[in-house]
Amino acid sequence: MKLGFRVWLWLSIVVLSIIIIFGIPPKFFSGGVIISAIDSDSKLYEEGIRQDMELLQVNNFIINSVEDYVSAINSLSTESSRVDILTDDGEFIGLYSLNDFNSLVIKKVPMTRLKTGLDLQGGIRVLVGSTNESLNFEQITDLIGVSEERLNVYGLTDVNFFTIRQINGDYLMGVEIAGSTPEDVEELVASQGEFEAKIGEEVVFIGGERDITHIGKSGADAMIQECGELEDGTQTCRFVFVISLSGAAAQRHADITSSLSVNHTPQGSYLEQPIDFYVDGKIIESLNIGADLKGNPATRIQISGSGEGASTKEAIANSKDEMKKLQAILSTGSIPYQLEIKKVDRVSPTLGEGFVKQILLAGLLAIIAVSIIIFVRYRKLKISALLIFVSLSEVIIILGMAGLIGWNLNLPAIAGIIAAIGTGIDSQIIILDESRIKDESLKEQIKKALFIIGTAFATSFVALIPLTGVLSFMNITAAGAGLLRGFAITTIIGLLVGILITRPAFAEIIKRLK
Amino acid sequence: MKFEGWYDSNYKKLLLIPGILLALCIIYLSLFNIQNDSLFNKDISLTGGTTYTLLTEKPLEDLNNFLSSQSLNFESKALQNNLGEQTALKITVGPEEGDALKIVLEEFLGEKLTEDNSSVEKTTTSLSEEFYNQLIIAILLAFFWMAGVVFLIFYKGAKIKTVVVVLNILLGFFLGNLFFKTSVIIYSVGFVLLAGALVAIYIKNSLPSFAVMLSAFADIVMTLAVVNLLGMRISTAGIIAFLMLIGYSVDTDILLTTRVTKKRNVNVNKELKGSFKTGTTMTLTSLVAVLVAFILVKNYETILNEIFTILIIGLLFDLFNTWITNASLIKWYAESKK
Repeated sequence: MKLGFRVWLWLSIVVLSIIIIFGIPPKFFSGGVIISAIDSDSKLYEEGIRQDMELLQVNNFIINSVEDYVSAINSLSTESSRVDILTDDGEFIGLYSLNDFNSLVIKKVPMTRLKTGLDLQGGIRVLVGSTNESLNFEQITDLIGVSEERLNVYGLTDVNFFTIRQINGDYLMGVEIAGSTPEDVEELVASQGEFEAKIGEEVVFIGGERDITHIGKSGADAMIQECGELEDGTQTCRFVFVISLSGAAAQRHADITSSLSVNHTPQGSYLEQPIDFYVDGKIIESLNIGADLKGNPATRIQISGSGEGASTKEAIANSKDEMKKLQAILSTGSIPYQLEIKKVDRVSPTLGEGFVKQILLAGLLAIIAVSIIIFVRYRKLKISALLIFVSLSEVIIILGMAGLIGWNLNLPAIAGIIAAIGTGIDSQIIILDESRIKDESLKEQIKKALFIIGTAFATSFVALIPLTGVLSFMNITAAGAGLLRGFAITTIIGLLVGILITRPAFAEIIKRLK
Repeated sequence: MKFEGWYDSNYKKLLLIPGILLALCIIYLSLFNIQNDSLFNKDISLTGGTTYTLLTEKPLEDLNNFLSSQSLNFESKALQNNLGEQTALKITVGPEEGDALKIVLEEFLGEKLTEDNSSVEKTTTSLSEEFYNQLIIAILLAFFWMAGVVFLIFYKGAKIKTVVVVLNILLGFFLGNLFFKTSVIIYSVGFVLLAGALVAIYIKNSLPSFAVMLSAFADIVMTLAVVNLLGMRISTAGIIAFLMLIGYSVDTDILLTTRVTKKRNVNVNKELKGSFKTGTTMTLTSLVAVLVAFILVKNYETILNEIFTILIIGLLFDLFNTWITNASLIKWYAESKK
């Protein structure tokens, strides 16, 4: 059988899609592991190791699986010693201990280049707006800038910001962080972040670049200083980090402290008033000021605070989190309006495990069930097989397109694929049946079939438009629906693929089979 | 040919069945709306509130007892995997009690809630109201534009087509700028005027277009009534299901309309029969595919469950509405044109 142009076009797009999905060479042949998360205050991070790097060797031990990685790491000593780490981004050699590798999270190299959404791989999505003010687009863009900077402290790479327009014209900021995320990160994003250091009622310095020129993030400049037990048995750990003040802020410190008197206590000599740190009006720490700082334009200031937990380990982790939050707030300064979390969805990464496989299985079985019905109806194996093949090819092309435009496949998007495939099967049945009407020429039959399919396409297409967000000029913004945009986009892609590529090809094959 | 004779003399009477059913559903939904101030039971994404999903093996009963003793107003549910083993517990509370729930759940589990042991979904009341309004607007517009496209394709006559296009665009601006924003009376009157004008044009000029619109409308209304009777809650994702339903419903209706109206000297019963064969195959394949997929993903308790359930109910009604409501109307129309 000679294949026509339409069939060739269809087959080449299928091949192209497969290449887009799996890459060249296909990733599932290579094996290997990648770094899915890394603590930004860890030693390895400092050396330049980052998220998404592929880990090839540790001390010449070739790593092809997570098990390989675990056994390679377990051969390391608890004392620091020389370790050679080979990644796809270069070689890193340094003195590391087994503990340093606790800051890494490793996973298998994903089989495809497709990205899944939060509801499948876990992560967090937060929608933030103002409590009492309406925020315009520029204000939200500023807010995104500040939030980006704050999240940078965590070294997260897979962060996606977006804006949502509400019916009344107000904007919301949306943040999506995929995969494993720091605890309470939503509070950081929604925090107004007004930091003030006060002595008595006088402000010495505030958060932001004007007063703070540098924030220590690692080594001796930022660390967990000590841990202890509270009366009720809770563990608590204290963090300290150093910041550098601008000249003006240091001078303010000198001016305010010069008028204070010194108290002499058995523990040491301190100024009569402490320095208090406030975040959003709440006091978080009060520190005594050493007598030697009186009237001194100090540019290096130690900031401290604490975190609690049931165990020391938990207390250390919480203390680190608190430190990062404070660093984030100090680095960006405050936002001039009160913020509120309007919606937060946090999906545990473990919840989505196995679900993707189950969806693939469901899709495959659904297509098989459909082809059985088709076989019962038409009694032709060839046609059933063709139908399965065409439907699968549509899934592949839609996934390929999603990969091409970097679209995240979330559950609404998967519903969209199902919708498109369902419509595709409907269309193929129409073509099959039209081509069996006896008193019409084949050309007429196909023409009528394509007319029906075209009309059906046009109606579904306009029905999806309100969800895509392109109607904002009509003030139809579909903010809630914005979260459903994945559905609209994949369905539209699927319908377009169907009407432009697979349907003409299917009609041509049916023509040639006759 | 016994059936054909019976059908020829009774097809108009057949319309009574969907007519009565549709009227009952509309009455039921109106009462429901008065009682609940909403067309359906909303889940927390549309009412505001907090849902926690705990990855725990502790039995649901323990959790319920524990929560009851804390005077929380909650709903809870156990999730299972395909082997029937419990994988998680799902607890939902209203918008005021989210923070309290967190503390109580941490006490119940004896550990902090982290991303390793739990998922959380939280929506404020103000935002959820906004979502609800927008979803209603999106569905209304989708429905009217779909009907508009059917009219544009099946009707010949440039003038009225232009009027329909302009009215539909006006409807879009109206829904976006005035719906839910002015007083109920003003926007209801405005909507009834605009929608009424469109429907009147369809009935007067292109009965087949109206028939397509009517069966899609009946599909939605009847499905919604059953969804409410089942006590199901609908989330933002529910809109997906209703849009898919509009799409599938229109597919079969267009097939039927094209077969019967696009040819001269057509044997109506023969075309109806042919369309029925094609159309039921289309709907049955969709139904079976959705059913198979639903069974396989059901235990994961995702939004797909909601989408699939609505689709299954909707497709069953679509069989009914296409082959009784729409078929009778089309036959009536075709016979009267002879």
